[in-house]
Amino acid sequence: MKLHVVGQNNMRVDAAAKVTGKALYPEDVSLEGMFIGKTLRSHKPHACITIDTSRAEAMEGVVKVLTYKDVPHNHYGVLMKDHEVFCSEKVRRIGDPIAFVVAVDEEVASKALAKIKVEYRELKAVFDPEVAMHQDAPKLHGESNIVYHYKLRQGDIEKGLEESAVVVENTYVTPMVDHVFLQPEAGVAHMEKDTIVVTTATQYPHFDQLEIAEALEVEKEKVKVINAAVGGAFGGREDITLQIHLALATKLTGKPVKAVYSREESFIAHAKRHAMVMTYKTGADEEGKLKAMEARIIGDTGAYASWAINIMRKAGVHATGPYEIPNVKVDSYAVYTNNPFGGAMRGFGATQPPIAHEQQMDMLAEALNIDPISIRLTNAFKIGSKTATGQILKDSVPLRQCIEAVAEKLGFSVVSRGV
Amino acid sequence: MKKRGKGIGSIFYGTGYGNGFPDVSRSVAVLRKDGKVKIYTGATEVGQGSKTVLSQIAAETLGISIEDVIFICEDTSITPDAGTAAASRQTYNTGNAIKKSCEELKRKIIDVTVKASGADAWEEINLRDVALNHKGQILKGEGEFIAETTEMKDETGQGNPYWPYTFNVYGVEVEVDTTNGVVEVIKAVCAQDVGRAINPKLIEGQMDGGFAMGLSYALFEDLNIKNGEIKHNKLTNYLIPTAMDVPDLEKIIVEDPEATGPYGAKGIGEPVMIGVAPAILNAIYDAIGVRITELPATPNKILLALKKKREVAL
Repeated sequence: MKLHVVGQNNMRVDAAAKVTGKALYPEDVSLEGMFIGKTLRSHKPHACITIDTSRAEAMEGVVKVLTYKDVPHNHYGVLMKDHEVFCSEKVRRIGDPIAFVVAVDEEVASKALAKIKVEYRELKAVFDPEVAMHQDAPKLHGESNIVYHYKLRQGDIEKGLEESAVVVENTYVTPMVDHVFLQPEAGVAHMEKDTIVVTTATQYPHFDQLEIAEALEVEKEKVKVINAAVGGAFGGREDITLQIHLALATKLTGKPVKAVYSREESFIAHAKRHAMVMTYKTGADEEGKLKAMEARIIGDTGAYASWAINIMRKAGVHATGPYEIPNVKVDSYAVYTNNPFGGAMRGFGATQPPIAHEQQMDMLAEALNIDPISIRLTNAFKIGSKTATGQILKDSVPLRQCIEAVAEKLGFSVVSRGV
Repeated sequence: MKKRGKGIGSIFYGTGYGNGFPDVSRSVAVLRKDGKVKIYTGATEVGQGSKTVLSQIAAETLGISIEDVIFICEDTSITPDAGTAAASRQTYNTGNAIKKSCEELKRKIIDVTVKASGADAWEEINLRDVALNHKGQILKGEGEFIAETTEMKDETGQGNPYWPYTFNVYGVEVEVDTTNGVVEVIKAVCAQDVGRAINPKLIEGQMDGGFAMGLSYALFEDLNIKNGEIKHNKLTNYLIPTAMDVPDLEKIIVEDPEATGPYGAKGIGEPVMIGVAPAILNAIYDAIGVRITELPATPNKILLALKKKREVAL
């Protein structure tokens, strides 16, 4: 195939605007007569609340204080709709939005936040997902904290482990981490006749449009999302943060409303990479051929599900690593706790399991006195391989090439082991 | 004492929403009055370079230069839904939708041009003339691409959840200071399966970024959450690497075109960061003989693990 543009190092079409400062990020947008909005957030991880906004609303310069009472449909979320736009009776994590002050400027908005009275009646909280799985643990939503359980079964795990010359076992723990995109959340909403226009930075404008329309109970066509320049995302702009707050504020006041998060607020506002506890047992024969792998993966999705189901499913599907293993048993769970909520982040559940399966591979190699490259090449997926879910890899599987290229560049043939 | 070790991390990554969830991208290609082509699609440029790469796919399909592609993706009221800028899906999914929309536009242009002038070779057609000769007639092509995915069985997890799969391998060499526990990555190589490289420089940019993010995950990032509260909530205490912490990455682009990808391309945005942390952890073991099983591998954890190892040896 002769190609004339594909394969070329064209300069980024957005480069000139970004390096000259011409690109408009949502924080750069200012509209005449706009109000400023600020969010009041929960200080407690699990509590029943009562809210009194009267003192804040009486302040000069305060236009409106939005609470759950102002939201026509107070639920949203990418899968489960388990978030409230503003908490009505209960907060489930530190950082849950409770109210949104709309004021003439930032100073007034900040002062008004301090005047809102929130009474917390604290509830027992749970922070360890393994504890949260027990039936007697405090519940976040409904009857059980287990949001999802993915089961992967192939072959006969007991037989595979029995047939292994070596079996290695370990537990691996990965923490929640943040995306730290460069540009904290910001946005401006305004009315264009009877259409609500929200200018923000998002990964999926059409989904934001839907979630705003549902929360406000307006037709989808009456909401327009303008995606300004996006200062990085990495999964952290998949869940709604300030979009519904701004849309509601402009709809109720008729005026443009802007909000800009600080870095500290950004940390508390959006999802985190799921913390996982991964217990692995992997067996191989004397030649280093993998015979069996058993894994139990517990993912902490914090106070809300966000993408937990899809993420823990992806973790389970990718638990084997890129290797042929005839006998596989994986149980992957997503569990609610009162921690910050877990959500999408680069790799989406496929980033954590390699922390485990790749160390398992090296442990097997050491026990069998095989080098790390050979054991991977022995087991690596190739065209025609069957994954643990029974999927046949039918095209484009250049894993061997990748391993060999890295091994050559790093001079892996002369690995010296240990101290 | 400073000790060196090498490690490798090898991974696969399934593109798309997965598990049978409808994974749809759409695009509309319109011939403008001046002969340029507008692409309308909801695919977000989040900094990954999708506007450029997707413009290249449009330009390739229509045989025009990238300067003649006007790419519009910022307004929900005028663009069709192209799914989320996530799951490493935009180059593959929306790339396919754009290619289809441009192919349809091309067919329509050939159709009207052949009828009008008898020209039959695409190379002989001047888009500016076509636009001038067909004023008042909107020439447009629409494209939709639906990714291949099936729902897995409840009890066994069997099925074809994702397609395609992308492969990534990192190799690193580290130097561990056994007196203070500091791990320094001194050499790093990344081999990235891309299917086909639409824009090699942008792929290398993703590899550099993914490497820094993966290194940071392995060695630095800690929110320090206590009773649900994020204690490290600013960049003075939530550590991420500076240029001083990230060595040059040797980047190897591995091409093996994927039949269902636009010009053979696959998504690489996520795979580029996944192999880093396991490679570093394996290199730490190779250097000092201790397994760090809990991220991040901070100096404190390294020193504690070394101490434990010495105690066991006694």
